[in-house]
Amino acid sequence: MVFLDDHHSYSYRRGDPMNYSFLWFSLINLFLVIILSPLFMTIIKKVKAWAQMRRGPPILQGYYNLFKLLRKETIYSPTSSMIMRITPPLNMILLLVAALFVPLVYVPSPINGIGNIILFLYLLALAKFLMALAGLDAGSTFGGMGSSREMTISAIIEPVVIVIFAALAFVFKTANIHEMVSTAITSPIYLFSPSLILLSISLFIVLITETARVPVDNPETHLELTMIHEAMILEQSGKNLALMEASHAIKQTLLMALLLNIFLPWGVSTSLTFSTVVIGILLFLVKGIGLCIIIGIFESSLAKLRLFRLPSLFMIAFFLSFLTILLEVFG
Amino acid sequence: MLRLLGFALGSFVLAFVLPLAFIRKRNSLLSRCSLLLTLLGSILSSIAASIILWKGNSFSYTAYSYSPAISFSFLIDQLAAFFILIISVVTIAVTIYSWDYVKHVTAHNKKNFLTALLSLFVLSMLLIIAAKNMIPFLFFWELMAILSYFLVMFDYEQKTTAKAGIFYFVMTILSTVLVMTGFFLIYHNTGIFEFTSFNGASPVVSTAFILLLIGFGIKAGIVPFHKWLPYAHAAAPSPISALMSGVMIKVAIYGFLRVVLFVFPTPLLWWGIVVLLVGTISALLGVIYALKEHDIKRLLAYHSIENIGIIFIAIGLYLLFQSTGLFTLAQISLAAALFHTLNHALFKSLLFLAAGSVINSTETRNIEEMGGLMKRMPATAWLFLIGAISISALPPFNGFVSELMIFQTFFQSTALSFPVIKIVLFLCLALFALTSALAAACFVKAFGIIFLAQPRSQHAKEAKEAKLPMIIGESILALFCLGLGLFSAQIFSRIGAKINVSFGLPNLLFVGILMIAFAFILFVVLRIVASRKTKVSETWGCGAISQQSTMEYTASGFSEPIVTIFSPIYHPQKINQRFFFDSANTQFKEGLVEIHLLKFFEEYLYLPVARGVEKVSSIIARTQNQVDIDPYLLWSFLTIITLIVIAGVIL
Repeated sequence: MVFLDDHHSYSYRRGDPMNYSFLWFSLINLFLVIILSPLFMTIIKKVKAWAQMRRGPPILQGYYNLFKLLRKETIYSPTSSMIMRITPPLNMILLLVAALFVPLVYVPSPINGIGNIILFLYLLALAKFLMALAGLDAGSTFGGMGSSREMTISAIIEPVVIVIFAALAFVFKTANIHEMVSTAITSPIYLFSPSLILLSISLFIVLITETARVPVDNPETHLELTMIHEAMILEQSGKNLALMEASHAIKQTLLMALLLNIFLPWGVSTSLTFSTVVIGILLFLVKGIGLCIIIGIFESSLAKLRLFRLPSLFMIAFFLSFLTILLEVFG
Repeated sequence: MLRLLGFALGSFVLAFVLPLAFIRKRNSLLSRCSLLLTLLGSILSSIAASIILWKGNSFSYTAYSYSPAISFSFLIDQLAAFFILIISVVTIAVTIYSWDYVKHVTAHNKKNFLTALLSLFVLSMLLIIAAKNMIPFLFFWELMAILSYFLVMFDYEQKTTAKAGIFYFVMTILSTVLVMTGFFLIYHNTGIFEFTSFNGASPVVSTAFILLLIGFGIKAGIVPFHKWLPYAHAAAPSPISALMSGVMIKVAIYGFLRVVLFVFPTPLLWWGIVVLLVGTISALLGVIYALKEHDIKRLLAYHSIENIGIIFIAIGLYLLFQSTGLFTLAQISLAAALFHTLNHALFKSLLFLAAGSVINSTETRNIEEMGGLMKRMPATAWLFLIGAISISALPPFNGFVSELMIFQTFFQSTALSFPVIKIVLFLCLALFALTSALAAACFVKAFGIIFLAQPRSQHAKEAKEAKLPMIIGESILALFCLGLGLFSAQIFSRIGAKINVSFGLPNLLFVGILMIAFAFILFVVLRIVASRKTKVSETWGCGAISQQSTMEYTASGFSEPIVTIFSPIYHPQKINQRFFFDSANTQFKEGLVEIHLLKFFEEYLYLPVARGVEKVSSIIARTQNQVDIDPYLLWSFLTIITLIVIAGVIL
C-alpha cells in the first residue's frame, strides 16, 4: 500500500517552501508548454492542409493569431454576466496549474501531491465546467448547444478516462503522473507491454475527444453539424478569445505530453543539468511533432461521426482500457 | 459538559413550547424568539460536539432505567459527536436563513407552528444520534418520522402535497418496521438492546444486516426505495428541505454506520458487494433522473439520492476491505464515507437554501421560467455556484476531496486477492466516474438555466435579491465548503497521524496559492500586452435582429443529448401532432410536441404494490362494514386466542 503514500505531501506546511528542483521544473515546464502549444496547433493544421493539397498557414500563424486577438477590443453581449468575464482568465489559470502536473522534459521530486492524476483530470473538468457556463451566459442558441453537447460528451468519455487512469495506476503502482514518468524512464520494459499498447490507443481516443477533433468535433468550424467546442466559445472576443484559444492549445499539449512521456519516455530525465534539459527539449519537440503529424493524418482520414454515434467510439476505448485491467488482473 | 448539553436541550424545548403556547399571537415576535432559541441550542450542541471530537473522551448519561436491559440512556462518542456537529452546523445556517424566510409564511399560526416543529425536529435528530441503545433510538426515530411528516404536509392546501405526504408516510413507516425487526433480531440473540457486537448463526446475522440495510436505506433514499425523496423534499418549505436533505437522511446513514461498526464488526464479503452495488446504482440513477428534472427542488432531491449512493459506495468499500483484512484501506474508505456525509450535508443545504431564495423571488419552482437571475440576485447566484461546484466534485472545494478519496481507494483495490471482485470493482469505478461527470453536466444545466442568459418570465424579470439573513445563512455553509476543501490535506494529515493511516491527499491549499499567484502574473501580463478596450454590445446572432429570451437554450434542450443517449433508461416517448387549416395539409395551423419519460419505479414497482395492498384491504374491508357487533367479537376473540398460543409457543 505504498503507492499513494506520498511522503513529500506536506513538506510545504513544515515551512520548507518549494525546493529549487520544483521551482526550476515549474519554470521550464510552463515556459515550454506556453511556447509549444500554438506551434503544435499550427502543425496539425498544416498537416491537414497538405492532406487537402493546400499550402496551409505559416508555421508561426498560431502566435500571430494570439497576438492579434490580444490587441483587439473585447466585446461582451449585454445579456452576459460576470461568468463571461471571469471564465477566460480562470480557464487559463487552471490550465497553467494543470501544466505543472505533466512533466515535459524533467521530473522533479514530487511535492504537495502535484501530479496527482485525478486532481489533474478535475482541474481540466473545472475549466470545462466554467467554459460551458460561459457558453450559456450570452443566451445565444449556439453557445447553449455547444455547452450541452460538450457536457454530454465529457460525461460519457469520463468512465473511459478513469478506467485508463486506474489501469495506469495499476501498471505503474502509483497515482501520480510524475512518478509514472520516472518509473517509465527507469524501467523501459514497460514500453512494449501489451497493456500499455492497449492503453495508448484508448488515451489517443481521449486526446482526440478532449481536444475537440474529428471524428468527435471539428476544430475548423462552428457550423451546425459540429457545433461543440467552437460553438461554446463563439461569443468570446478580443483578449478573452485569445485566452480561451491559448488554454485550449495548452490542454492539447498537456494531453499529448501525458501520452508521449508515459509511453515513450525518451529524453525525459530526473536530473537537472543544462545538457539533459536541452536534449530533453529537442527530443520532446521531435516526439510532439511526430504525434501532431499522426493526429493530422488521423483527422484527415476520417469523417465526422454523428453525435449519437459517438458512444460507440468511446465504447471501443472503454473496452481496450478495460481489457488492460483484465490482462493485469489475470496476467 | 452535562450543563452545556442541558442548556442546549432546554433551549430546543423552549423553542418548541413557546410558539405553540401562544400559537394565535398575531405577530412574528414569538417565531423570531423560537428561531433564536433554536440557534442558541444548535450553537451550544456544536460546541459540545467539538469538545468531544477534539478531546476524544465520550459523554454518557442515563435518563431513566427500568431494568439493566431496558434503559433510556445516552452516549456521545466520537462518531455521534461528528454527526451532532453536522446537524448543528446545518441548523445554525438554516435558522439564520429562516429569520427572513418565515416572513413569507402569511398565516401567523402557521408561522409559529413552523418554527416550533423546526426546533423539535432538530432535537429529535440530535437525540437519535445521542441514543446509547436501541430503545431511545427507536423512540426518537419515530418522533423524527412524525415531525418530518408534519413538515412535509406544511403546505397542505396544495394538491401535490397530499400525494407527497402519503408517499412519505408509507415509506417512513416501512423503514421503521424494518429497522425495528432488525433490532429485535439482534435483541433475540444478544439479549440486550445495546449496539454491541452480534455473533449469531450466519443466516440470522445476514438477515439482520439486510433488514437494517433496507430499513436505513429507505430513510436514506437508496434506489429502489428513493421515490419519496423527490416528492417530500419538493413539498416541504425550503429550510425544511435543506434540513431533510442535508441532515435527516444523514441520520439514516448514522444509524447504518452505527450498526455496521458496532454490531457487525466482522462483516462478510458479500455484504460489501451488495452495499457497493446498491450505492453505485443509486448514484447513477439518481443523477440520471436529476438530469431530466425541471423542478429545482426535485432536481436537488435526486442529487441527494446520487450522493447517498456515493456514501454507500464508500461504506461498501469499507465492508469489502474490512472483510478481507485490508484494514488501512478500510479506514480510508470509512473516512471517505464520513467526509462525504459532512460535505453533502454542507453543499446540499446550501443549494436548497439558495434554491429557496430563488423560488421566493420568482414564485416558481420550474427552472424553465427562470433565467437571467445572475444580474438580479448576484449574491445568491455566487453562493449557488459554490454549491454547484462543490457538488460536482470540482477542486478546490470539499466535494472533490471526498470523491478523490473514493477514487484512490478504488485505484488501490488491486490489493484484493479475488480477481472477479476486482473486475466488479473496476466496473463500479467506471460507473462512479460517469456519475460524477453527469453531476457536473446537470449543474451546468441548473446554474446556466436558472442564473444565466435572459429571464424567461415576468416573475424572473422582476426578481429581487434575497434578504441579508438568508445570504448570511448560505455564506456560512459556502465558507465551510471552501475551507474544508482547501485545508483537506492538513486536516487529514492530522487525523492520519492519530490513526496511523496515510491518506495521500494532494495539498489543495498549495494549488489554491498557485492559482492566486498565476492569477496575479496573468493580470500583469495582460495589462502589459493586451488591449484594455472593452465594449458592451449586441454580439452577432446570424442575422437575428435582436436577441429574445425565447431563443435561448432551455433545460429540456440542454439535457436532450443525454436523454437520447440514455434512452433505454428513460424510454422517452415523443408525441408530435400537427393540425392544418385545410384538408390537404398544406397550411399549418398549430402543433403539439410532448416528450414523456418513463417513471420506471413508480409504474413497475410502487403502483403494483400499492394496487396489491388495496386489493387485500378491500377483501378485509368486506369482513367489516356490518351493522351488528357479533362478527367483531368473533374476530377479537380469535385474535386473542392466536396471540396467546403464539406467545406460549415462543416463550
